[in-house]
Amino acid sequence: MSTETQIRSIANVLSTYTMATYLVFAVAMVFFLFPVFWVMSMSIRLPGEVLTYPVQLIPQQVTFEPYRQVLQDSSMVTWIFNSLKIAVLEVIGIIVVAVPAAYAFSRFDFRGKKHTLFIILLFQMISPVVIVIPLYNMMAELNLLDTHIGLILLYIGLQVPFSIWLLKSYFDTIPSGLDEAARVDGCNRLQMLIYILLPSMGPGIAVVAIFNFVFSWAEFVMAFTVLGESELYTVSIGLFSFQGQYSTDWRVIAAASVIAMLPLLIMFIGLQRYFVKGLVEGAVKG
Amino acid sequence: MSFTNMSLIDPDYQYVGLEAFQRVILSQSFWTMAKATVIFVAISVVLQIVLGMILALAIDYGVKKHLYGSVSTRIAVLSAWVIPGIVIGILWKIMLIETNYGIVNYFLVQSGFSVVSFLSDPQMALLSTIAANTWRGTAFSMIMLYAGLQQVPQHLYDAARVDGARALQRFRYVTLPQIKPVVFINLVLITIYTLNTFDMIMSLTGGGPGHATEVLALFMYFEGFNRFNLGQAAAVAVMMLSVNVVMTVIYMRLFIDEEEF
Repeated sequence: MSTETQIRSIANVLSTYTMATYLVFAVAMVFFLFPVFWVMSMSIRLPGEVLTYPVQLIPQQVTFEPYRQVLQDSSMVTWIFNSLKIAVLEVIGIIVVAVPAAYAFSRFDFRGKKHTLFIILLFQMISPVVIVIPLYNMMAELNLLDTHIGLILLYIGLQVPFSIWLLKSYFDTIPSGLDEAARVDGCNRLQMLIYILLPSMGPGIAVVAIFNFVFSWAEFVMAFTVLGESELYTVSIGLFSFQGQYSTDWRVIAAASVIAMLPLLIMFIGLQRYFVKGLVEGAVKG
Repeated sequence: MSFTNMSLIDPDYQYVGLEAFQRVILSQSFWTMAKATVIFVAISVVLQIVLGMILALAIDYGVKKHLYGSVSTRIAVLSAWVIPGIVIGILWKIMLIETNYGIVNYFLVQSGFSVVSFLSDPQMALLSTIAANTWRGTAFSMIMLYAGLQQVPQHLYDAARVDGARALQRFRYVTLPQIKPVVFINLVLITIYTLNTFDMIMSLTGGGPGHATEVLALFMYFEGFNRFNLGQAAAVAVMMLSVNVVMTVIYMRLFIDEEEF
């Protein structure tokens, strides 16, 4: 069979829509994966191979020297540690605040509940960029500039509203019959929340945790404004300052970028099912 | 603060009424930046909606027909969204390096075009930020629209098919009206996000060349923290805030409407 007839017979099997869909998939894969692939490819090159013509898609010789340089000669390790610390404490703080709040919004009826929920949402929609200047003044007056604790408190404040919304929609999916059964068995509200509801909240809490972890790893404006000393930097600001310093060596910048995004990518790809489900239920169904 | 001449370097300040607003509006660079912002937001939002819709439809179709690659495409697109903005800026910068060693320029030269100065030519720089922002934001748009598509009842499609509606007609008369609320909510949200884009532009172009990519978010930041005019920065912040609030109110209107379905 000639290739032409082969192609034609494949085309007969697949409908036009299917082919169009595959075309969209292929284009999307290239468009979205290529930048990531390219940065990885840059980060494992020998110095001479960055600026070669014609351009090599895959380097001839692989070296991890740029990674060694990033991890040893810069404060990258400190920054990663800072980011981890801030993200973990932020996530814990948010869960401690948002779970009881979401529980209250889901189970109690009180006057102005709907309005309160909308005001909470209103605050969520205001971007950090817009309020960074007044926040800077407030932080200065509270002596919280150049402290991690100040930044963590800011992040908690910024992210609690969305987390409450997301968790509330999860609480709403748990039948309140469960609450009543627990009450008959003699649980008070707190015991009920901890022993009965929390275990079934697992997926919801996971989504909130992932979301906020990603947020604080990527956040730039606040951290850039609040943290002045380079030992306090998070990965994002560290990388930004780093870019200025090493502006000539693309390999090192590429390696640093890979270090900054890879943990998130791996975590996200592992957990994306949860994430999509959580967003679909939380964000769109309200 | 927007009613004061407060400055980061001078602790004394007075209330000066609308002077800060006046100075901002009268300054030449404000209008250059407002124009850049409008172009940036408008094109990014349109691209994000259109690409997001195409992807959502393709993935929805793919999942229903059990085609290969539906889930991997979804993961690939969403991955762009969890990468920190600073990294996205650097990623695109590395791709757009302005000699023929830069990969995009290499492909351009290979296909017979000449080298394009993506980051040092004002117009190209703005286009580059739009491309990078679309790369980042399409995922969100896609996932919102995809979620919307899941809620269109199958029997409506079946009915339309019985009535002899072709695919495009089904999209026009069944899908679109059904997901209209989601499309609007998506529109409002991506407009807010795009208007507030900061980190990605910061690492991609830093607002340059000149002020070509200094969108209002950056203008406000530089005004306040580099040029120390807190009053004027706050005035710009108030303008942006009002756009955000207006968009949010629209969002909430839609949200309530949707809940009453």
